[in-house]
Amino acid sequence: MATFSENKIFIVVPAYNEEKVIQDVILEIQNAGYQNIIVVDDGGTDNTRAVAERAGATAIRHKINRGKGAATKTGIEAAKLLRADIIVTIDGDGQHDPQDIKKLIEPIKNGRIDVVLGTRLLDPAGMPWYKIIQNKIGNIITWYLFGLYVTDSQSGFRAYSRRAAELINTKSDRYEYDSEVIREIYLRKLKYIEVPITVRYTEYSMGKIQKQSFWNGVKTVYKMIWGLIN
Amino acid sequence: MNSSLHLYQIAIILIASVMIFQGGKNFVRRKKGQTFLKLLIRVIVWGGMAVVAVYPSLTNDIAELIGMQGNINAVILTGFILVFLMIFKLLSAIERLEQQMTEVTRKESLQELREK
Repeated sequence: MATFSENKIFIVVPAYNEEKVIQDVILEIQNAGYQNIIVVDDGGTDNTRAVAERAGATAIRHKINRGKGAATKTGIEAAKLLRADIIVTIDGDGQHDPQDIKKLIEPIKNGRIDVVLGTRLLDPAGMPWYKIIQNKIGNIITWYLFGLYVTDSQSGFRAYSRRAAELINTKSDRYEYDSEVIREIYLRKLKYIEVPITVRYTEYSMGKIQKQSFWNGVKTVYKMIWGLIN
Repeated sequence: MNSSLHLYQIAIILIASVMIFQGGKNFVRRKKGQTFLKLLIRVIVWGGMAVVAVYPSLTNDIAELIGMQGNINAVILTGFILVFLMIFKLLSAIERLEQQMTEVTRKESLQELREK
């Protein structure tokens, strides 16, 4: 078993205009036992960064909005700079339960796995039916274009070993980032595992999820194909 | 096929052969970013050019087959292809700029962290 120091576990939270919930998200992560929290304010127009700093997180900011994928990558780079051994990414809208972090990092701590993918689809109880269908379509397209079938290619709740964080090299800025990570796992032959996570579909997080409309989905697919041919 | 090949036909065959050979070599050596799809597109584009260069009359047969005859149609089609290529180039440039913008934004954010 590899040895990991608890204070080298970093939680990366990409956030865009999340000042209403970011404090609760940070407090929940802290209560789950993780103090190294990096919030990336992705060029938002509210006080996400200030609220995050007051709550005790390390907050950095994109001067302009570059998308969830870009913010996540910036957070991972920041964690690498701070000498992280394990990096966990979690959404900033409060839909993920930080109590699941333990489940995500355990396989990496055991030294068996490079990437742990949190998946909503192994136990989709409470998930709206149209989200399940959307997700399945996303999984099939990801499998067809990127070569690996996973049950939740669009989940942002993931854990990476230091090695995986060094090897994975993404270029996508927006929602296609999550699928590109799957491609990187496949290309770099990283060892991965899927772990079921719970998702809280609150009114707030649902409002955010609605922003990933059908057209955004089409745009994501177009970006994935474009990334391949360009 | 004519009994003797013109110089331009030989040139196109040579260039197409080199391009296909390089694509195949990259694929076999598993160079970064090389996929079967890319190799296939390369073979179709360059192979198609070589075939058309050797059998120019093939274009007439194809035109007849898809019901497109006459010079004006050829001009319009060429225009479409040019516009398509320009859009492709523009989208590529925009994508490159977007990536560069993200890189600059990221570097600046991380610089802030380093200075803390």
